[in-house]
Amino acid sequence: MAYAEKAQRHYSSELTNIRGAGLFKEERFIKTPQKANIRVEYPAGAPNQDVLNFCANNYLGLSSHPDVVAAAHKGLDTHGYGMSSVRFICGTQDIHRELEKKLSEFLETEDTVLFPSCMEANAGLFEVTLDKDDAMIADRLVHASIVDGMRLCKAQLYNYKHLNMEHLEEKLQETQSCRFRMIITDGVFSMDGDIAPLEKICDLAEKYDALVMVDDSHSTGFLGKRGKGTHEHCGVLGRIDAITTTLGKALGGAAGGCVSGRKEIVELCRQRARPYLFSNTVPPVVIAASIRVIDLISSSTDRRNKLEENTKYFREKMTQAGLDIRPGVHPIVPVMLYNAKLAQDVAKDLYQEGIYAVGFFFPVVPQGQARIRIQISADHEREHLDKAIAAFAKVGAKYNILGKKKDEVIAMYGM
Amino acid sequence: MAVHERVREYYEKELIELRYADLFKEERVIHSPQGADITVEYPQNSNLSEVINFCANNYLGLSFHPEVLAAAKAALDERGFGMSSVRFICGTQDRHKELERKISEFLGLEDAILYSSCFDANGGVFEALLNEEDALISDELNHASIIDGIRLCKAERHRYKHGDMRDLEHHLKETQNKRFRMIVTDGVFSMDGDVAKLEDICNLAEEYDAILLVDDSHATGFVGKTGRGTHEHHDVMGRVDIITTTFGKALGGAAGGCVVGEKVFIDVLRQRSRPYLFSNTLSPVVVGATIKAIDLLRESTALRDKLDQNARYFRQRIRDVGFEIKDGFHPIVPIMLHDAGLVQAMARDLYAEGIYVVGFFYPVVPRGTARIRVQISAAHERHHIDKAVDAFVKVGKKLGVLK
Repeated sequence: MAYAEKAQRHYSSELTNIRGAGLFKEERFIKTPQKANIRVEYPAGAPNQDVLNFCANNYLGLSSHPDVVAAAHKGLDTHGYGMSSVRFICGTQDIHRELEKKLSEFLETEDTVLFPSCMEANAGLFEVTLDKDDAMIADRLVHASIVDGMRLCKAQLYNYKHLNMEHLEEKLQETQSCRFRMIITDGVFSMDGDIAPLEKICDLAEKYDALVMVDDSHSTGFLGKRGKGTHEHCGVLGRIDAITTTLGKALGGAAGGCVSGRKEIVELCRQRARPYLFSNTVPPVVIAASIRVIDLISSSTDRRNKLEENTKYFREKMTQAGLDIRPGVHPIVPVMLYNAKLAQDVAKDLYQEGIYAVGFFFPVVPQGQARIRIQISADHEREHLDKAIAAFAKVGAKYNILGKKKDEVIAMYGM
Repeated sequence: MAVHERVREYYEKELIELRYADLFKEERVIHSPQGADITVEYPQNSNLSEVINFCANNYLGLSFHPEVLAAAKAALDERGFGMSSVRFICGTQDRHKELERKISEFLGLEDAILYSSCFDANGGVFEALLNEEDALISDELNHASIIDGIRLCKAERHRYKHGDMRDLEHHLKETQNKRFRMIVTDGVFSMDGDVAKLEDICNLAEEYDAILLVDDSHATGFVGKTGRGTHEHHDVMGRVDIITTTFGKALGGAAGGCVVGEKVFIDVLRQRSRPYLFSNTLSPVVVGATIKAIDLLRESTALRDKLDQNARYFRQRIRDVGFEIKDGFHPIVPIMLHDAGLVQAMARDLYAEGIYVVGFFYPVVPRGTARIRVQISAAHERHHIDKAVDAFVKVGKKLGVLK
């Protein structure tokens, strides 16, 4: 081996440290398509177990929906499997344009450009639209992909306290000398399911003459009466300059993302965004299926309505069962446990009860805010929700946390 | 004026400048699957034309191969369309592990980790493995995704002159006080089709105790006697520490990439690499089809052999008729015209003759090295290549490139 043994030793000890800190990520092997009922091998080598999945971003249950799978089959026949090209050389098909148009119509924006993922959309957008004369003013809890995109951009970076409009306004006042300012936020934040106050953000943007960018990956397809996203939910359709979102969560869940918004921003991305110019086009099979997804959710709100009802039901029953959940309307339901070890133990016991849910703790969430993050799907039936609630009640009783307040849980288990 | 209008005005001006400088990228809309013969709408709203594609990375013709399509369909039926998750939450199927095993066996390394794209693999590999105590020593012509990955990493940055082993050695000497050094190079460079001198690089890496990373996106599946890539071609299998590569070119061309290397590196990436932790898992349909693509290449070298013959045949013929090409054997064949205007006229006229190629000029390649980049595929038959050569002759004469 060419590199020193010290490198190997170094990386091995890093891994030992990660394990020692209880932060090692173990993957579970799923033997079925993604849906409410899945079959899982975990730990590796263990017999398969049938569990209910409560940790996917499969909000609308479209990831293995028969219509979507059928559209993917048809796309393979008519447009092939791969394009082996970036978009601008020979990777643009008629269906790519069709999907971009449909996304613009659905999101009520001027234009849309596809990226291989929303991670790459966020990596490309800022560098293209802003330079060192400009300022990025971002919510402190925006997604990692936005953080990386901002790291690649020369504009000055400002952060405002999570959802804090006074602090945002302060930053807007501080940056008045910049050429352009962009306010940057997630529509819905993935750890808490809390929603950015887009109406106030848009008002401030207009008052201080700033652009607004929203990553709507955890809302496109289901938030708002017609499922258009956070901008619909907050009544600010048409007032967001750039929306980035993903096809990899509610909209089928395979791959792909986009920048959608003002047409000049979109066109500049086509000309200059590095992940657009230097990474593959989205494959035809994903495009064909995604077109079908947009058609499905444009023609009926049944799935988002069912998701909303499921979420409401689950949140109510969990609260009645004595679990401490963060209030809200989003299918991301954080069940608060505060202590990292407790979150891991509860997740393990839930798995034994056939409920697949994941615990999150520091450094993914702040110290002392460990939780199980439940994600509700339109694929869940009432019986699935009831089974999860019963499992939580059983495991919660075992740890004596039902009906307990935050302070009481911390007193028992520590932060 | 409100910001939207100011921004609109500003960006519009930028776009006009791009058009004026002939740098505006117009997409051509393809109405068929990818292949040798495709149906294209260009310019927009014009009639469809049937052209022969010489600009895809579809080196092995697997992008629309019946067995790859069948595997994609089987995967859709058995494992669904999307996973709606990152890998470590609920986005790992048994098939993902199978693909990781197959690609690492194919490339002759210990373990592999999948990414949404090789762009993401390159975006995530450096930062996870190196920090400010380390140095990256990178060929100056490396792919944009490597450059972006390096920008996200805190290690000290060094660039060596393209393919210049003395300059590489100079930087290795300069960085001896660093904890770890990593040499980074493309296996094959996409604009010239030239191959990194991996034997020399491996020798230097060993002499100076550096880690070697090769991006083999333009080689995996077809370079080397059994298509393993640049390391096979240079007979240094087992001496390259880390390979990043793509499934988005020769191996079916849909999506996905990976980092392949010793297990300890891969384990660290799984815990720390941001695009792996924060972007979706590869979709089951891509995983299933890529497994099939690798199986096909392990069973037979027929496709890479045909590509090799096609590339040799085209290189010989295009040189015989009087064009200047860069030497080499790779299916990327740069036809040197040196002048940006001439390149654009040539590409346009070739398109009118039914040959779809793309011209590259400054700033994509250095000034004075404008060229048409032809990419040969195993999907091409002799008659496709003959037709292309005839069209090059006709257009070359018309534009005064050939006498």
